[in-house]
Amino acid sequence: MTHVSERAFTSKSFSEFLGEGKIMGARCGGCGKLILPPRPICPGCGGKDLEWKEFKGRGAIRAFTVINVPLTRMKGACPYACGVVALDEGPSITGQILGVQDGGQVTVGARVEPELVREGDKTKLCFRPL
Amino acid sequence: MRLSRNVAVIGAGMTRFHHKIHADKTNRELFVEAALEAAESVDNGFQMGDTDALFVGNFSSDSFENQAHTGALMVDWLGLCPRPATRIEDACASSGVAVNMGVLAVASGAYDTVIVGGVEKMTNLGTEEVTDTLAMAADAIYEVSAGYTFPGLYASLATAHFAKYGSTWEQLAAIAIKNHHNGALNPKAQYQSEVMETARILGEKRGMTFKDEMEFLRSPLNPVVAYPLRLFDCCPVSDGAAVLILAASEIAKKYTDTPVNIGGIGQASDTMSLHDRVELTSLSATRLAASQAYKMSGMRPKDVDVADVHDCFTIAEVLATEDLGFFPKGKGAKAAEEGRTALDGDKPVNPDGGLKAKGHPVGATGAAMAYEMFKQLRGEAGRHQVAGAEVGLTQNVGASGATVAIQIYRR
Repeated sequence: MTHVSERAFTSKSFSEFLGEGKIMGARCGGCGKLILPPRPICPGCGGKDLEWKEFKGRGAIRAFTVINVPLTRMKGACPYACGVVALDEGPSITGQILGVQDGGQVTVGARVEPELVREGDKTKLCFRPL
Repeated sequence: MRLSRNVAVIGAGMTRFHHKIHADKTNRELFVEAALEAAESVDNGFQMGDTDALFVGNFSSDSFENQAHTGALMVDWLGLCPRPATRIEDACASSGVAVNMGVLAVASGAYDTVIVGGVEKMTNLGTEEVTDTLAMAADAIYEVSAGYTFPGLYASLATAHFAKYGSTWEQLAAIAIKNHHNGALNPKAQYQSEVMETARILGEKRGMTFKDEMEFLRSPLNPVVAYPLRLFDCCPVSDGAAVLILAASEIAKKYTDTPVNIGGIGQASDTMSLHDRVELTSLSATRLAASQAYKMSGMRPKDVDVADVHDCFTIAEVLATEDLGFFPKGKGAKAAEEGRTALDGDKPVNPDGGLKAKGHPVGATGAAMAYEMFKQLRGEAGRHQVAGAEVGLTQNVGASGATVAIQIYRR
C-alpha cells in the first residue's frame, strides 16, 4: 500500500482510499479550503500546496431525486435515490441514498451518514438516512 | 466585452424537430436541409459559396451515429470545401456556443459571412442508451457513478427549489401545459397538441377520462421519471437541425432590409458537478452570461419582449426566468402559474413550445432558439407570434448549467 503522503490528488487515489474504508479529500495549504473529492489545483485559490484530509462523512441532504428511468448499468436497482450531501465538515459530495425508493421517504435537510458499498472491485461512497 | 464590429442574422432555417419523420436521414441530411432553408430565407438571395466559414454545434453524433468530425462533414456536404469548419461540443449548449463563436469570428473581421448551426440525430438509440449518452455531459466519475441520470440532476435542483422557496410540482405542470399550447401553434414543433388533447387520446386507449390537464398529469399515464419530475416535465428525444447565416452588419444590408441584429452575447461556465456549487436553486452561469449580454446590448430584463429559454425540464424554465431577471428569485414558478410567461402574458417565454414541445435534438437547440428570434423579430412567427416583439433573448444551457450561452437580438 502506498503511503498516504505519496499519493497524487486524483480520482484514482480517492477511489483507492474508499476501498480502504476512508473518505479522503485535500486541504489547501494556501487558503485552508477543504477539497472533496481531491483535485490537483485548489478551486478556491489556485494553490497546489495540498495535504490529505480524512472526512467523517456525516451530513445533510441538499438536493435529491429518486430515479425511475435508470442508466443501463443501474437497470436492476430501480427505483433508487441519489443526492447531493453537504458534509458537516464543509464540502458537499454526490452519492446514492440507500434505503429510499420513494420521494416521500426523505426531505432536503435530512441527516445522513456515509456507507461504503463494495460493487465488484470498486467501492462506492453512499449515504443512508439517520 | 464588446464587439469590434456589429453582426446581424440575415437568414435562418430549421428542420421540423421530430422523433419519427427523420428516420431515414442522418445528421448530414438534417443539417443540409436546415442550411438550404436558411439560404432560401435570405430576402435578396444568398449563394452558399458566399460563406467564409462554418461553426456547427453537435453533442454526440459519435455515440448516436458512430460519426465524429461533424464540422468537416457538414462543410463537405454543403459543397463548401475548403472553407474552415469547426465543431463545437458543449453538451446541450453546443449550438448556442456555436452562434457566439460565429458572432465573434465575424466581429473580429476575420470573416464577413459565416454559417452557424447545430444538429443531432438521437433516435437511432433506445431510451436507456440515450439516457446513458446524455449522462456523459455530467461528471462521469462523481455524478453518473452515483447513479445520476440527466432528469435526476434537474429533479434534484427542483427539490432544492421546492425546499427553499415553496414552489410546487403543480406550478411546474403549468409550464408543461403552456409550452404544449405554444407547440400546438408551431409547425416546426415535434408535439403539436395541447396536453388535454394528449390526455384524451391516451385516456381513450385505456378507457380513462380526465376532467382537466391536472387530473391527467397526476395520473399513472404521466409516470415519475425522476422524482419529483414526471414524463411531462421532461423534453423528448428528437432529431433535427437548425442553421443561421450571420454577416457583418455593413454587409448584411446587401442581403436584406430587415436583418435581425445581434445586440449582445454572453457565455459563462460553472462547476461540472452540482455538489461543487454554492447554490442549487440558481444557475450562476446564466446570471453571469446574462449580465454580459445585457451590458453589451444596453438592455435590461424588462426590455426583453420575447425569450427562448432552455426548458429541458420544467424546473429549468423556472430557474431561467429567475436567473435572467424576469422575475424575482423564488417567484418564477408562481409567475408561470399566473400565466405571465404565456404568449399573451407580460413576459412571453418559449413561444415556439420550448424544448418541452418543440423538441430537443441536443446539439441543434441553441441554433433553433436563434431561428425563433429571427422569425419573431421579423414578425414571421405565424400563429405563435408575440405581437410587436423588438427585443429577443435566448438562453442555451449545457448539462446541469456548467455551460450557458446567451444572445440578445434586436430588430
